[in-house]
Amino acid sequence: MQSFPDTIKYLWQRLGSMSLAIILLVVLAIASVIGTVLIQNQAQVDYLQQFGPLWYWVFRALGLFDMYHTWWFMTILAFLMLSVSACLWRNVPKMLKDMRSRKPKLTEKSLKRFHLIKRFSLPATSDISAVQTAFKKHLNGWEFRAVEEGDRHYLRADKGRWNKWGYILVHSAILVVLIGGWMGAHYGFRGNMAVPEGDSENEIAFQQGSQTGHKTMPFSVRCNNFSIEFFPTGMPKEFRSNLTIIDKGKEVLTSDIIVNKPLYYKGVRIFQASFGDGGSAITVKMFHLGGSETVDTIHSNVYSTWKDPKTGISVNFTNFKPYNVENMADPGKPKVYHDLGPALEYEMRGPGMKPVKIKSYMNAFVGPKGDDRGSFIMVSKTGDAADYKPVSLGLDLSDPVEWKLFHAFMHQLQAINKPSKQANLMAFRKAMNEVFGAGKWPEGFQSIAVRTLQAVNILPQLPWAILPVLSNYKLHYYTGLQLAEDPGMNVVWGGSAMLVIGLCIMFYMPHRKLWLIVQSQDDGLAVSLAGMVNRNQLSFTTEFNDLFMKLGDDFASLSEQAPVEE
Amino acid sequence: MNTMTAESSLSSKFYHGRWAYLRFAAYFGGILGIAAMAKFGVGAYEENAFLYQILSIKGFLWGGTGALACSGLAVVASSIKPTLLDAKFARNFVPWLDGFVLMVILATIWAQFEPPKSQINYDDQSNMFDGRVIMAMNVVFIFSAVSYIAYLFAPESFIGRLATWSAYTGVYLGGSALLLRWHESYLFNMQIGHAPVSNLYEVFILLCCVTSAVYLTLERRYQAKAMGAFVMTLVAAAVFFAIWLSSVGQADIKPLVPALQSYWMKIHVPMNFIGYGSFAVACGAGMAYLFRSHLESKGGTAKVLAVFPSLDQLDQLGYKAVAIGFPAFTLATILGAAWASEAWGGYWSWDPKETWALIVWLTYGSYLHARVSHGWHGKALAWWTVAGFLVTVFCFLGVNMYLSGLHSYGHLS
Repeated sequence: MQSFPDTIKYLWQRLGSMSLAIILLVVLAIASVIGTVLIQNQAQVDYLQQFGPLWYWVFRALGLFDMYHTWWFMTILAFLMLSVSACLWRNVPKMLKDMRSRKPKLTEKSLKRFHLIKRFSLPATSDISAVQTAFKKHLNGWEFRAVEEGDRHYLRADKGRWNKWGYILVHSAILVVLIGGWMGAHYGFRGNMAVPEGDSENEIAFQQGSQTGHKTMPFSVRCNNFSIEFFPTGMPKEFRSNLTIIDKGKEVLTSDIIVNKPLYYKGVRIFQASFGDGGSAITVKMFHLGGSETVDTIHSNVYSTWKDPKTGISVNFTNFKPYNVENMADPGKPKVYHDLGPALEYEMRGPGMKPVKIKSYMNAFVGPKGDDRGSFIMVSKTGDAADYKPVSLGLDLSDPVEWKLFHAFMHQLQAINKPSKQANLMAFRKAMNEVFGAGKWPEGFQSIAVRTLQAVNILPQLPWAILPVLSNYKLHYYTGLQLAEDPGMNVVWGGSAMLVIGLCIMFYMPHRKLWLIVQSQDDGLAVSLAGMVNRNQLSFTTEFNDLFMKLGDDFASLSEQAPVEE
Repeated sequence: MNTMTAESSLSSKFYHGRWAYLRFAAYFGGILGIAAMAKFGVGAYEENAFLYQILSIKGFLWGGTGALACSGLAVVASSIKPTLLDAKFARNFVPWLDGFVLMVILATIWAQFEPPKSQINYDDQSNMFDGRVIMAMNVVFIFSAVSYIAYLFAPESFIGRLATWSAYTGVYLGGSALLLRWHESYLFNMQIGHAPVSNLYEVFILLCCVTSAVYLTLERRYQAKAMGAFVMTLVAAAVFFAIWLSSVGQADIKPLVPALQSYWMKIHVPMNFIGYGSFAVACGAGMAYLFRSHLESKGGTAKVLAVFPSLDQLDQLGYKAVAIGFPAFTLATILGAAWASEAWGGYWSWDPKETWALIVWLTYGSYLHARVSHGWHGKALAWWTVAGFLVTVFCFLGVNMYLSGLHSYGHLS
């Protein structure tokens, strides 16, 4: 039975052991993998759908949906810190002592253990100090220490004696970085706010486990303007917000921010994170599909709801985008991007109808040859954006004449007793004459004819009483800002600098030690050259052999008689 | 044994001592000068015209002043401490920097072969000259891999030299092709212009070049030719991947998304690839080690063994490559964190790419612990370098293919 202090001592030793360090590093690596495979911080509903109730609850209990902040992940990090501390505590005093002491003496027995050892025999005429000078001459910038003991003359040379500082720096750096991270997590914050153009905001929202937290900032941010700049290829080039900081009712600072160029105010950094529609003014035409040819024009805003008193249908405008760049190529073919123009998304509900989500484009679809292919919408019956299916309406609804022609044609068709191809053609001619006047048909009426026929097959099939179609807009963005304060950040940078400097010392300035031991014997001098390095064995071996050759030459010229190399 | 004695005295003078030291100081000062221009010069850092700002009179003045100032300081420093003239860092870095200058010269030559302005078309980039240089690089690298393998079975010095020189040629072709792409990006449209490290295709070329360059540095110093068969095979595999990428239309120069428009990209990405490339070399050393130890366990009579470095040397070479890669990768990750804190609002977001970078770092960190402090050697660590490289490949490719996150620029589509 161990006594209590012994147990503590034992545990402390275990804690600083290398095996534990390696195990911790591997465990940390494996644990980290989980969080990359399982997408973090999604909506809980998505997880439930993805894994089913059982696994959802298991994963949720383990905190896997936000695993980098769970107690057990923190525990691994805490253990790592403890282990590093124990390691430092145990090794630093020894290392500091080692770095200071340079014992020149080496016994024959310990010499035998050396990996790198070479011996020379020199004639008795040789001078010991000349031998030592030759050795020193080749070691520019090394530190020497000499001692004599009886007939043995020791000369020790050191280079990179401070290599162990690399170890100390690297390991303390890990502690410093983790402490910096902890400071950031406890005393810092990071959250988002959406500020519509012209408005100001002082509250940020952030994810807190599976809930959303809020925090009020000591100042408010006003978005004066948000703009997007495009490359000639149509890709966005720059998102720019012009912001004014309002502190205690006073405008203190006005500045532009773009991605990669945040704004600093009172320790808080403000980033351009996203953007969206801030309630653009929209003009929507309500096409009554019942055959009455009625079109109501309404003015509203994105995020508001319009209700039709006659039919009881309500339309909730959910989103608006002025640009809709889509891949127009067939699957498997090289992508061809094309801007389909402004589009409005809305949800339509009404008595006796299934709710539906529709994306309505303002402009007609234009084919590759510039041909008008009529208006179109995207319809999602589930309300999920992934289920959008395009529906071509045939008519170009931005042109009121086509809407008129369509109804004229419908009336003519209804007048036909016996439908035939001939009769249909006659009906279309009559409709055209009615709308444009005989002989005044516009150029390219063939395409209108084709599309009107298409519309006859589609429009009456649509299950809704009215079809809202976007006809005009006045853009009004919101800018999505991220606000962050991290008092631990500079600590982390400090730790990072220590880490890199420490690694460089550790890897590139190995502690190299050389001994030259000269022993006078009856028939001459026995010279031993021994070397030792704590890293980078390969280049040191080269260096050692190089030195051995050079010394051989030197000794030969010293004694005019070739030394015997053993 | 010593490589240095084998070299002619002229190149020895050029690459050692005073000249190398001064050149190093001048290069270093030039880079500092350009960095200072980007940071402090008035209007001197335009995201989409930086190449020409470096090449302008202004860039020349800033860079030149830096180079002169640093050389001056270096002369003063060396007169105080003469041992600096033999400094290792100058000797080790100067060949890389010289090589870079040669690449710039080559790229300038290639730029003369670009099609006339009327034929330059963003939508069809197939007539740009970089495609041809890269094709040449592909051929040369594959040829080099084949030669290195041939060298194993027919260890003629001629074949060995052919393999080495073709690898060098590949590095210069690839590096100059990338620089040429930088120039080309401006030819389409000044607004599109950006450094050539923005998509998977470009970084794959960078990976091939860095891996070969790290390997060649080790080969030059330690005569480990047999290892080349393994390293260059990895490079050849990367070449095939790049060829596939270009065949599916991923080789085109595209404008930069706003998140990537930062000077950090020019530092963070190449630094990362020094890490990845070194880990690839370590993997090559590990495979060579395993191959040799397998042959030895079968009796060790195979002729191939004569060409191989000893097990101990291969073990050391693997460590050597990790010793280059680990600090570089650490620095790259820190630079990435610095960029993230400027672009995303926090230096660490547990984004899949970041997390996998940490996993790679931990993998090699534990390798170093096992080796240096635990005294592990040999087979287990050879396997470790191979497995570590697989983790690296996942970090670099797999994350882009399978996991989505903030880093999804290099997406395969």
